[in-house]
Amino acid sequence: MRSFVSVSVAIGAAFALVLLYLSLATAVSAAGYEAQRLAAERAELRRQNALLEIESARLASPARIETAAAALGLRRAAKVTVVPAEAFAAVR
Amino acid sequence: MAVSLVRLRALFAIFAIACLLLAGRLAYWQTIGRGELLGQATDQTRSDLVLAAQRGVVRDRSGAILATTVELRSLYAIPRRIADRGAAAAALAPILGQSAEAIRAALDSGAEWLYLRRRLPEDVARRIAALRIEGLGFENEPKRLYPNGALGAHVLGFVNDDGQGQYGVEGRYDPILRGVDGRLVVERDPANRELAIGLRIATDPRRGQDLVLTLDLAVQTAVERELAAAIARERATSGSAIVLDPRDGAILALASWPPYDPARVATADAEALRDRAVSWAYEPGSTMKAITIAAALDKRVVTPQTTYDDKGFAIIGGRRLGNALGRAYGPTTVTQILERSANAGAVFVASRLGADDLYAYLRAFGFGERTGVDVAAEASGSLRPLAEWYPVDLGTVAFGQGLSVTPLQLAAAYAAIANGGTLYRPYVVASRRDADGEHRTAPAPVRRVISSDTAATVRRMLVSTVDNGIANGAALKGYSVAGKTGTAQIPSEDGRYVDDAYISSFAGFVPAEDPRMVVVIVLERPQSKLLGTVTAMDAFRGIAIDALRYARVPPDRP
Repeated sequence: MRSFVSVSVAIGAAFALVLLYLSLATAVSAAGYEAQRLAAERAELRRQNALLEIESARLASPARIETAAAALGLRRAAKVTVVPAEAFAAVR
Repeated sequence: MAVSLVRLRALFAIFAIACLLLAGRLAYWQTIGRGELLGQATDQTRSDLVLAAQRGVVRDRSGAILATTVELRSLYAIPRRIADRGAAAAALAPILGQSAEAIRAALDSGAEWLYLRRRLPEDVARRIAALRIEGLGFENEPKRLYPNGALGAHVLGFVNDDGQGQYGVEGRYDPILRGVDGRLVVERDPANRELAIGLRIATDPRRGQDLVLTLDLAVQTAVERELAAAIARERATSGSAIVLDPRDGAILALASWPPYDPARVATADAEALRDRAVSWAYEPGSTMKAITIAAALDKRVVTPQTTYDDKGFAIIGGRRLGNALGRAYGPTTVTQILERSANAGAVFVASRLGADDLYAYLRAFGFGERTGVDVAAEASGSLRPLAEWYPVDLGTVAFGQGLSVTPLQLAAAYAAIANGGTLYRPYVVASRRDADGEHRTAPAPVRRVISSDTAATVRRMLVSTVDNGIANGAALKGYSVAGKTGTAQIPSEDGRYVDDAYISSFAGFVPAEDPRMVVVIVLERPQSKLLGTVTAMDAFRGIAIDALRYARVPPDRP
């Protein structure tokens, strides 16, 4: 009877160990898949960000702005008045 | 019964032999054939990938992106998985801008797997993805993008389909821009997902270094606009323009005509790929007179007031060299030689200087050798060794014939006059950034060419050339301008000059009292012939006005 109990406990423990191992392996695999999914998501977000940076640079291009301004009828200022800072300094 | 025993024994023998054969086979696969089996199993589960290094980003001096690499989606098809190829082709046709018949033909070509279109614009890829057609898929592929289009293309260069940088900065700095590829060996499940508890050997890629250029996008825009306008006005065959900071040799803008779009290199004309500011040499003509006079002043063989009697020509080495249009000016000072662009005067100054010293100064100014600028394919120009000079060469070289220079060499030489006498190596990469941080390019003074007093004197003479002389078209309201025009003939293959065809140019700097930029414009074969310099000066003014306003340089004149 005693030996039967010992064997049963040993089998139960072994079963529990196997279950633990399997659950851990499954959890690691699942975490691995999740990490891979997140890495792919991060890569895609980075890609989208790079595309947006390109679009931003294209929109900010002086040549594009110049063309757009001309299409709106804007013209280059014929004269830019520069006020010397010394004149203000003298007044103050 | 006896028969049954025989049968049983026979059956036992067959089983025994079969067992032995199986055991033998099993032993074979477990020992001798183990490696082969293991290899087959590994091939099914393991993938060995090259992780492409991200190519470095190129920016202008303000941080604006000039070139960068992004992953674009390429559309592929597995035709046997597409249920209705006709319907798929019809749905794709309007999005891809291709006929449904052509797409259907590709799908019916018998290929197991094929690309339908590579590196799609993102909006197109999204529209196709929304169709959710079974058997179509996307694969990311890197593409070099230039958000400003053709702007600065000759400085930037481009990247070919093999990922190699060509021409310009892309070519010159390819080894550091491209980075180092990595490697990833992993085991995968049947769905091609990486196994977290499987084999994993990874060497991370090392991304390429980022470059910040000395180029200024705003100035570059003005330069390309003015050059294009000048080319169109003159119907010139080609041209180039450079803006250089004389204080350290930094190239603020550089443009070459004909242009090309780095995104469409495959369809570009081969001649358009050449950077005519750096990789092309021409006979400079009268812009060289400033160099000749600077040498003579520095050698103290003339002063600005030294006078000669201009008869409209000079005789040297038994040859008669005349002024443009044969005009005689009478008593003429050295300053007036520049103001009138008198060839006879340049010969007079060169005769005072002598061939040895003229040659030495030309070499010191950097002619006849590459400037060392950090873009690919720089030309050296041509300055024949002194031993090969004929007596007449002293006269012709003095006004810019018989030698060839690149526009960049001329800009660097004028920068030396502008900055007080020091020749700087021109450069376009201001800094590079890697994992260790930013590495700035130190300005590289090559040598002192002339004294600061001589440089100041030549500056005043060049200002007078603009204020009172032939280069008056370059004058700017509110700013002192120093500069000189150049009209050069074009040598033909038979050693003579091409009739009635010229190269017009202008080299100058502004503000002359405290120069912030040197500008050189060159137009090849302008239709207005000798008046091509007028257009070159107009282009100079357009560039200078924009660049001075943008840099907030205050006027130095009322």
